[in-house]
Parts: sequence; C-alpha cells; structure tokens
Amino acid sequence: MQINPLEENRVSQAAGQGRHGTHLVLRGLSKRYAGRTVLDAIHLKIAPGEFVAVVGRSGCGKSTLLRAIAGLETPDAGQVKVGGGGGRGRASRPEVRMMFQDARLLPWKTVLQNVALGLPDGEGRAREALASVGLAERAGDWPAALSGGQRQRVALARALVHAPQLLLLDEPLGALDALTRIEMQQLIEALWTRHGFTAVLVTHDVQEAVALADRILLVEDGHLALDLDVRLARPRARGSADFGSLEQKVLDRVLDIHHKVN
Amino acid sequence: MARLAAFGRALAPWALPLLLVAAWQAAAHAGLLSSRILPEPWAVATAFWNLAVSGELWTHLKVSLWRALAGFALGAGLGLLLGLLNGSSRRAATLLDTTLQMIRNIPALALIPLVILWFGIDETAKLFLLAVGVFFPMYLNTFHGIRSVDPALVEMARSYGLSGWALYRDVILPGALPSILVGVRFSLGLVWVLLIVAETISAQAGIGYMTMNAREFLQTDVVLVGILLYALLGKAADWSARGLERYFLRWNPAYL
Repeated sequence: MQINPLEENRVSQAAGQGRHGTHLVLRGLSKRYAGRTVLDAIHLKIAPGEFVAVVGRSGCGKSTLLRAIAGLETPDAGQVKVGGGGGRGRASRPEVRMMFQDARLLPWKTVLQNVALGLPDGEGRAREALASVGLAERAGDWPAALSGGQRQRVALARALVHAPQLLLLDEPLGALDALTRIEMQQLIEALWTRHGFTAVLVTHDVQEAVALADRILLVEDGHLALDLDVRLARPRARGSADFGSLEQKVLDRVLDIHHKVN
Repeated sequence: MARLAAFGRALAPWALPLLLVAAWQAAAHAGLLSSRILPEPWAVATAFWNLAVSGELWTHLKVSLWRALAGFALGAGLGLLLGLLNGSSRRAATLLDTTLQMIRNIPALALIPLVILWFGIDETAKLFLLAVGVFFPMYLNTFHGIRSVDPALVEMARSYGLSGWALYRDVILPGALPSILVGVRFSLGLVWVLLIVAETISAQAGIGYMTMNAREFLQTDVVLVGILLYALLGKAADWSARGLERYFLRWNPAYL
C-alpha cells in the first residue's frame, strides 16, 4: 500500500501523533565552560527520521552537544534549529524528548504516573506506551521496585508517550549489563522503526553505535572529527564481517590509532 | 515454632523495662526504697487509676494536649512556611536566613523571663515558648529538604513541561518530604520537653501543673504518674510521626 508521505504527515500531525521525524540543523554551535571550549563551531545537518550516533571519549563534549540540542544548555554562539522551514509559532514547534543517562524517574510516583508526567489526562496513552516497552503489568509499582533496565524502559515509555519527532538519548544504556543493553538496543530500534522519529544517540560504546545508527559522528576536542554513513542492512547481525570491520574502523579512529602510528 | 519466635522478638524490647519494674516493686516491698523517694509501682498504678476515675487526669491531659497541638501547629506551621519560602527563593533566603540563624542560637527557654514580662503567665506565654522552640527544627529541615531536591529530577521535569505549581507539587515538595518529616519528628519530640518546662513555671491546669502540685503535697506517686504521662505522650507523638513517614514515604524502600 502506497501512502503519500506528505499526506500521512499531515494526517498524523492532526491526530497529535507526529509520526515523522524532524530536521535538525546546527549552525556554528559553540559552548565554553570556564574558558575551556567544549564545542567549537559545530555544523551539522540531520535528516528527518535519521538515526545518528555520536561517539567520542569521555569529556569530548558529546553530552554537551546533546544537551544544547535539547535546550538544556544555552550555546555561547551559533544556533540549533529543530524542525524544517515551516516553524510558525509555538503550535508547530516539534516535540523533542530526552532520555538521560540515569532514568530520572520520580521515586514518589508510580510507574504509570511517571510515564504520564506532563500529560494532563494521558493515562490511557501512558498505558499504551508502557505496554510498548513491555512493562504494562508494572504500571502500579514504585520505581524503586524495578531493575535498572526496567527503569530505562519506563523512561523510554515516558519519552515516547509524547510522540517525539526528535528523540535525544544521552548514554541511556551506559549503566546496564551487556544482555539488557542488547535487549534495550533492539527495543529502541524497533520503536524507532515503528514511529519514525529522528534519533540522536550519544554513546561511548562503538558497537552500540554501529548496531543502531544510520550515521556515526565522532566528537573530538569539540569538533566533529568523523561523519560516517553506516550502510548495513537491518536488523544488523553483530557477528557479521562487515559489522566487525566497521566497528574496528570506528574504534581505531576514536582511539586515534592511525594518527599515532603515522 | 516460628510464630513463637516472632512473638518472642516482639516482646524482647519490653523485657528490660518489665524486669526493672519488677525489681523496683520487689525493692519497695522489701523496704529498701522509701516511698518518699520512690513509691512502689503498685502505688503509682493506683494513683493513676484514682486520677482517671476522678476525671482530674483527663482535665489535665486535655489542657496539655491542646497546648502541645496548638504550639506545634503554630511553630511548625510557620517553620514549614518560612522553610519553603527560603528554600525556594534565593532572594528570600538572603534576606531572612541570617536573622533566623541568629535567633536560632538563643535557647527558647532562655526567653522565659522576657516572655513572662511580655505575655504574663497565661496561655499566650506558653504557646509562644512552644512555638519558638518548635519553629527551628521544622524550618531548618524544610529549608534543607527543598535545597537538596535532586536537580536532575527538576531538570527532567522542566524538560517535560512542568513548571510553577505543578513542578512544586510533583517534584519539589515530594523530594523535600523526607527531610520535612524529620523536622516534624524533631518538633514533636521537642514540644513535650518545652511543655514540661512551660507548665511547671506557672499554670492552673495541665500535667505539669498536676505534677508540681503533687510535689507540694509530697505525693510522689502522682508526680510519677505525671512523668509517665509525659513519656507516653512523647512516645505517642513519635509513633504518629513515624506513621506519617511510613504513609507519605511508602515509595521509599528505606521506610517500608
């Protein structure tokens, strides 16, 4: 069945769904902390629905980049533009949601109340979102009763319930064990495929970046040092030779092996 | 067997007090303790019974309870309000906190001479003393609670569109609640201590009055009834504070 993407976009936006991702453009984005330049005139264009992974060593500024996109940091120079040309007023402002390193659930609210946070009467939608991350039966529990992976799934549901057009993920899987990580990666990929939002994932795990992203960016000393398209078919088999060689290539670049050898 | 063990565990904290009372009774019976110094437990129980039957006990209890509740409501209420205000607004804290910290260093009981000069020796003086004493634990804990709310949660809530009253209700107040309830517990403990002093200065009713009156007539058994009543009321206050904690902090595994 062929659906006119423009038509569907209009229909779903009318229904408050926002099924399609949004443009993201950074122009000369700079950020300094106490005289140290963390981001140095970053230029970046991300297409709607693209899944971009940002890798780099710790302290390279990748989290600051994400926080600046989310509007949690005010840039010292340059601008962040979310949404394509037709940004007319507040009504058309795209829905941007962020998933943090820690789940940041409110411990005094039940799982369901956490998901419904900021939605005046969103209980029904919150239940749906919770079901989509496989935690429908934990709706009435306190977050303290959940495992780390489950908490991140609740945080994911909380982001998804707003039907984000841009989802920002700040190392959300960093604290999880290896098996839970892989499960979560598959869940994020499945939800991204279904909802079609634009995703920017900050991670220190190169394998995670290769597994999920259409495009891998490397941040080094506040610059974009690498911009690499990942042309592997989904779902991606971690054991395949292509996967392995790409992972190695990115890893070598992150660790700066070639530069040192030369 | 397991049930018996559980029963034993529940009784264990009471074993020592019961043993002490038994030893006390035995010593009084053997004539080792003069009733002038310490009447036997049985005499205390009888005095308790007589006071209860005559209705005297309830009159005094009611007066003391009312004073404690009113003083607590006034002092803790103000402490809560100012704690919330100064915790939430840097400007208010800059203006008020130093002053309050200075006043805090004056022991409430040191104000007694001044309080008597201001308010005389009637109810207002007692309420004032209680309120001043109870104010600070509540103020400090509320202030600290608001200031120590996890900024990561506030940032998250803001990014989910919460602001103003909704942010306060859903994030800041519940985040400060553990600390606020510590303040409630401290204040409830303190209110009885202050009440004892306030009621022994000058009063026409109340447990403190009853105790001081009994002392005049060397009724040591009634004095002991008064002391026991204070202990029981203090325990009841602590118990209700813990009940509040268990209810309001039921999300927190540390309070289950």
